Amino acid sequence: MLEIYVGMVLVALIGMYCIVWKKNMIKKVIGLGIFTNSIHLLLIAIGFRAGGIPPIVTRVNANYLALQAVDPLPQALVLTSIVIQLSVTALALGIVTLAYRHMKTLDTERMNRLRG
Amino acid sequence: MITYVLLVLFAATFLVLIIKRDEIAIAAILFSFFSMCYMFLNPEITVFGFGGWSPPFGIVWVLDKLSVFLALLVTGVSSVIAVYSLKYIKERRHRYYTLLSLITIGLLGVSLTGDIFNLYVFFEILSVSSYALVAFFLDEGAIEGAFKYLMVGSVTSLFILIGISMLYGLTGTLNFADLASKISHSNPYMIALGLLVAGFSLKATIIPFHAWKPDAIEGTPAPIGAIFTSISTAIGVYGILRILFIFNLIQLNWVLISFGVITMLVGAFLALVQVNVKRMLAYSGISQIGYIIMVIGFGTLLGITSGLYHILNNALIKTLLFMGIGIGIYLTGKENLDEIGMKSTPLLICVGIGLLSLSGIPPLNGFVSKWLIFMASWEISPILTAIAIIASAITLAYSFKIFSSMFLTTKRIEVKIPKILFIPVVILTILCVLIGVFPQIGLNIIEPAANALLNQNQYITAVLGG
Repeated sequence: MLEIYVGMVLVALIGMYCIVWKKNMIKKVIGLGIFTNSIHLLLIAIGFRAGGIPPIVTRVNANYLALQAVDPLPQALVLTSIVIQLSVTALALGIVTLAYRHMKTLDTERMNRLRG
Repeated sequence: MITYVLLVLFAATFLVLIIKRDEIAIAAILFSFFSMCYMFLNPEITVFGFGGWSPPFGIVWVLDKLSVFLALLVTGVSSVIAVYSLKYIKERRHRYYTLLSLITIGLLGVSLTGDIFNLYVFFEILSVSSYALVAFFLDEGAIEGAFKYLMVGSVTSLFILIGISMLYGLTGTLNFADLASKISHSNPYMIALGLLVAGFSLKATIIPFHAWKPDAIEGTPAPIGAIFTSISTAIGVYGILRILFIFNLIQLNWVLISFGVITMLVGAFLALVQVNVKRMLAYSGISQIGYIIMVIGFGTLLGITSGLYHILNNALIKTLLFMGIGIGIYLTGKENLDEIGMKSTPLLICVGIGLLSLSGIPPLNGFVSKWLIFMASWEISPILTAIAIIASAITLAYSFKIFSSMFLTTKRIEVKIPKILFIPVVILTILCVLIGVFPQIGLNIIEPAANALLNQNQYITAVLGG
């Protein structure tokens, strides 16, 4: 289990690095995606149970299912969060396209307010 | 009932684009406002479970006094803005109204929900429509402001998501009431608390998280600036309050007090040096949030009451000012302080009342809540009262700067104000004077809300049932 948490923190750091240090707007959006996915990893890890069974009600005993199944709620949360992330990324890329049309560059260093 | 409000708003969002009639969105927002008025009359805590699931398992919306007060405020301000925008926005108006109804759904959902992940979802609806509205004019400033807001806003929303997943991992529940009964004050919980409060601080624009706001507001239409400074920040403060309420940590908190004092002073000083009138109002809004955060940090009943009262008054005053000065921007097409001079006595009276109220001159509503804030801070430390009075004096200084540049300069133009722009301004002016002369009207709404916030057990019993 610990490996998953360490992995999540590493992925989150890579995402943060992209958002803060990269100068290209598209790379910043990619960094945002990486950061989000690290949190999805965390959510899945919270609900995961080593050697668990899928949380689907079949003929098995309900008590057995409750003891052995993986927690399905975090997976539902991750699905919702992926949809939200999709819309945010789409909007971000739309804004990046417009920025390129206006300023003919994607370099945040060359824009007025995004510097620093 | 609440399901219909949501359905009507969601339907309006799409119908505006399909049928291309803006009145649908206005009608839907007004409908949500009137149904919130109806809900407000109900004295009990009402619990709506979606899909027939009982509270700890399904998503619930809990209408306690605080939530309904916030919902009433956000739908009220949104309806005024919806009417005003009918004239103010000249092009691509259907898309504007789609986004405006979406922003109302987000604000309403955040204020009424009783489930922490549902809160995140509505918070994201609010955020995404805000990013799109910042970019609405599609010029260079708007796009830069929108990109900045989008990056900062998404990262802090993800902080909220990390906080939620930590809380779920620790307690195994997402319901506010259930969380409140299971939370302890050990270290992992405190990390989650810090992440959640940091996430909401961005919407509330507390000083280290404020950088997006002036840029975003400079690029937006003036009515959306009004939403950002009045109700969007109110929702941020509500988020902080609700999280502290869940953790049962509404008590003397010097961290919040110091952030509040810094926000108050730095916001006021930065407002003083601005040239663009929208940026000036944005910094002014940041400074007012400083007062609210400071008094929330006191944790006393008087402190919470004055903070909520200031949320109400700040929303009314900032909407009034953005709309009143927005008329100037609409008629002249300029935004710098030395270019918006105009000759119009009715507008002078309305904006003048707004500015006097902002700086806390009796008998206007700004004075009432500032007086309560001074009283609450005197109980804790007279030094804080002195700081608050200094910030108030700076507020008077920049208010006078706006007033003189708008109505007292030599180069003023003759204007004729469209009625539909002016009526919402008049309504808000009347409300400001009314609350100032009869402060009891506001107190009757706010005291139950403040009491609800301090009484955690009542909330848990109402939701989970004994």
